[in-house]
Amino acid sequence: MAGLPEAFLAAIQADFPPDFLSLDAGDLATFGRDWTKVHAPSPGAIAFPRTTDEVSRLLRLCSAHAVPVVPSGGRTGLAGGAVAARGELVVSLDRMRHMGPVDMLGGTVRVQAGAVTEAVHQHCAAQGLTWPVDFASKGSSQVGGNIATNAGGVKVIRYGLTRQWVLGLQVVLANGDVLEVGGALEKNNTGLDLRQLFIGSEGTLGIITEATLKLTRLPGHLDVLLFAVADLAGVLALFREARMGGALAPGAGLEPGHGPFTVTAYEFFTERCLDRVKRHRKVRNPLSAPSDYYVLMEVENAHRDALEAWVASLFERELVTDGTLAQHSSQAAELWTLREGISESLSATGLPHKNDVALPISELSGFCAGLDDLFARRYPGWEICLFGHIGDGNLHINVMKPDDLTREQFLARTHEADHDIFALVKAHHGSISAEHGIGLLKKDFLGYTRAPAELALMRAVKRTLDPQGLLNPGKILDA
Amino acid sequence: MKILVALKRVADPDNANKVKIPPSGDRIDTAGLEWKPNPFDEYALEAALRLTEDGKAPKARAGEVVVVTFGPKETEQTLRAALATGADRAIRVDVTDDKLDGALVARALKALVEREKPDVVLMGKQAVDGDSNQVGQSLAELLDWPMATFAATIQEEQGALLVGREVDGGVAVLRVRLPAVVTVDLRIVAPTSVYSLKTARTHKYNDGVRFAALPAIMASKKKPLAEVKLADLTADSGLKVQYHGFEPPPARKAGIKVKDVADLVARLKNEAKVL
Repeated sequence: MAGLPEAFLAAIQADFPPDFLSLDAGDLATFGRDWTKVHAPSPGAIAFPRTTDEVSRLLRLCSAHAVPVVPSGGRTGLAGGAVAARGELVVSLDRMRHMGPVDMLGGTVRVQAGAVTEAVHQHCAAQGLTWPVDFASKGSSQVGGNIATNAGGVKVIRYGLTRQWVLGLQVVLANGDVLEVGGALEKNNTGLDLRQLFIGSEGTLGIITEATLKLTRLPGHLDVLLFAVADLAGVLALFREARMGGALAPGAGLEPGHGPFTVTAYEFFTERCLDRVKRHRKVRNPLSAPSDYYVLMEVENAHRDALEAWVASLFERELVTDGTLAQHSSQAAELWTLREGISESLSATGLPHKNDVALPISELSGFCAGLDDLFARRYPGWEICLFGHIGDGNLHINVMKPDDLTREQFLARTHEADHDIFALVKAHHGSISAEHGIGLLKKDFLGYTRAPAELALMRAVKRTLDPQGLLNPGKILDA
Repeated sequence: MKILVALKRVADPDNANKVKIPPSGDRIDTAGLEWKPNPFDEYALEAALRLTEDGKAPKARAGEVVVVTFGPKETEQTLRAALATGADRAIRVDVTDDKLDGALVARALKALVEREKPDVVLMGKQAVDGDSNQVGQSLAELLDWPMATFAATIQEEQGALLVGREVDGGVAVLRVRLPAVVTVDLRIVAPTSVYSLKTARTHKYNDGVRFAALPAIMASKKKPLAEVKLADLTADSGLKVQYHGFEPPPARKAGIKVKDVADLVARLKNEAKVL
């Protein structure tokens, strides 16, 4: 690894506070990567700016000295988007976590990019509002990273992606210029929406330093249910019922005031996932007998009688084989742990290779049958842990390293398996990355989802905003 | 075996920030609070269910569990949840929290025990709202029954219970003749804490309180839930405890930033006076 240029380091020392830059080995190892553990971290240094002005001056300096930069948030990404493996300068937003006052009338809040998702939730909850971007890693993930990756999560079915909850952005461009896009307006039809260009750009077009977030009211009473269903077809049949809020049940007879409920989460996972969680943490199956597939469903403001009548009809029509309804908040939290613990437990009990694909819901059955067939034929004996936000057509396909393969052998073979999986995704009109992004991990496969003309356009945008190719080089597209 | 389980609902500690005290300071404003069963009472219910079944085939009941709570109409939700979890019958004593104290609850429970004639009365060692830790002991005294408090294990014997209590430096084991009053601690829901005569000693329960299966939730609507007037249980509804005022805990003071370690040490020494 070539170190950072002497002149660059000297300029940092002269123009920035003494604690601005860290070369500490622990910091380099920590800030050099995200939750993707396949790349060895090797950054040149870590910068910890406190203000937008510092970010701006830093990027101007990087541009002058041709120093490549990796923007870094909570580092909970799963596609290697925050990995610095080639001596880059990591710019951590950890110190930029100020949150402005909540605008109750406009339903907005302005925060710095390093604000932690959960802290934003707590900040707004006091006013009865929330930023409905929510996922398992909310205790570490940061607003800037959420926006740069257009993060999804468990509540997308109710609220949509991060993209829908960002009104304005402050972005520092590669040359150090500070760009304000959007402001705090719900409506702003004045030409190209540049804000959307940066949302999901994975740090390749600029560093997001502040954001004006759109807020919504806190949800009402939430009921959490866990169902056991026989197979994937059952998961989908139950989803059809759930998304109609119980209105499909024969003789549902939704009485006045018993209106259809709103589904705020519809997640599924397999027994193999639950097994892994049970091996890793102290949890139990709340149902009396194991089942191949489970559905975790959360509903808002359901009338208890209407919900129970719907559930009764599910049993009568044999749509579910077993289930439970959390009787209070601790039980609800325990049920959520079964789903939200999966990603962490897979990593703690083995080496998972993660794929995060999206499919039209109507294609899910065909795709999963094809997937089973593919692995039975070409990779027999590999353990696949399947879970995800099935209501969004989003499957997390986790392939676990078999014991008889070394790490290197496994990674080489997963690369081959990915080509097979993504060919299947393409055949079913899906996307090779539903919410994790492209980063380093999925870059070779972008062509399965994006057409050559689209890729050329993306390259042109990148060249325009970052002509030297210094921002998160090698992510999404080859440098 | 017939067991009476006393259940109390408490404000959900996860929603502690919703607890409001009006400026008059004479009561706690419970509007908008979410409720849940007192966790120790939930453990008592779990223990009661284990004592009235064969752990291997829990669907066939081997006894009766009657749950009772004191509260207004909406506390029936707490009882329904207990019925869904496996209790056989429920009783609600119609009264509001502000008209109750531990001594009155114990007097009313005594009358209820005389009607129901259970072999055991089980309840949590205390409720997590008032932390009074009175009702079990008072009830045993009023009934003149044997008592075991803070039970960590219970093993059924012929006509008696063997109760393990965790004490400093070890476990004290009591044998209480039935009928008896037993209050339970949190370890009572560990996998090998409770054995009925029917359950094999090799059986291991799931750790914790069981979830209510959906079919059981539906079936629980048909289980009997009776309402009893407090006046029918005790003519003396006077309170021994009167609350004189409520105050929220003082707001946390803002922290300070120190320059360096020397500054920190100096402040700990001179201002906080902890060094």
